[in-house]
Amino acid sequence: MTRADPRPGAPVAVRYRTLRLCSNGGGYEAVPERRASLDLRGVRQRLEGAGLSVIDARVMLIVQLPPEVTISQGGRFLVKTRDPERAAEAFDRLAGLLGLARAPTTPPGD
Amino acid sequence: MGRGVMLMSGGIDSPVALYYLLRQGHEAVAVHMDNRPFTDDSPLEKVLDHLTILRERFRQPIPLYVVPHGSTQVTLMRSTDRHVGCILCRRFMWRSAERIAVRENATFLITGEALGQVASQTLSNMRSATQAVELPIVRPLVGLDKQEIEAVAKEIGTYAISTRPGVCCQAVPDRPATRSRLLSILEEEARVDADAILEDCVRRAIVM
Repeated sequence: MTRADPRPGAPVAVRYRTLRLCSNGGGYEAVPERRASLDLRGVRQRLEGAGLSVIDARVMLIVQLPPEVTISQGGRFLVKTRDPERAAEAFDRLAGLLGLARAPTTPPGD
Repeated sequence: MGRGVMLMSGGIDSPVALYYLLRQGHEAVAVHMDNRPFTDDSPLEKVLDHLTILRERFRQPIPLYVVPHGSTQVTLMRSTDRHVGCILCRRFMWRSAERIAVRENATFLITGEALGQVASQTLSNMRSATQAVELPIVRPLVGLDKQEIEAVAKEIGTYAISTRPGVCCQAVPDRPATRSRLLSILEEEARVDADAILEDCVRRAIVM
């Protein structure tokens, strides 16, 4: 597993283990290894700074890549696609922008 | 026979509730509250497929109003207490259904709710949610348990549609309120301009 790379001023420093199918099977989720509390304002600024469209619902952000990705205050990422490769690609892109540990370390859906 | 407005979510219960109403000879208008971007496209696709089955079976046109609800969720999440978010959300659903009922000359509202199926489906929450409307609400499934509802859903062919993969509503809080007080719900709702939200959503509804 890759460690987080909390660059100076990075809004988050959270590690993720896997990208897995969500409970209803409609998308893939990445959940932090440990309970986290993201600075969503910082996350939003960083993503908007990279030219992404972000809906701010205060306790969660919805990033319209596509695919759409929901980022909750607790650090959960939900990528709304049933294609595991597309989900991994979307998460990796956001993880790269935010300086997060890279997921997945096991194949999605395992 | 009467004409009612049915709230349809894409889940297992609502097509079964509608089936019972149609079987009794009532006419129905369907309303789907479109929760995107807090869900994906799957709830709307499921509702469309449910209606295809029920329209054919009962030879009724059953118009479907798709009401945009995602922007309402954003407003509620930004301005109100998260724990009562589901109750406030349902108040807007009921109000939207009632507005459409008036437009469609319908005299009652229908829901697939059954008491206590999920943690937030308590009597006090139902009371807090339905206080927002005046039309009578019919709950055909209120006396059935989940197994009975699923058996009917399988029999009429809607179960396989309802259980297709999809994204759950992301606006649901981690710990939704189970015992709400109407007064505190009304105080929370007063933080937003409910009339303006409702007006905007119903105006943007599309009929399918």
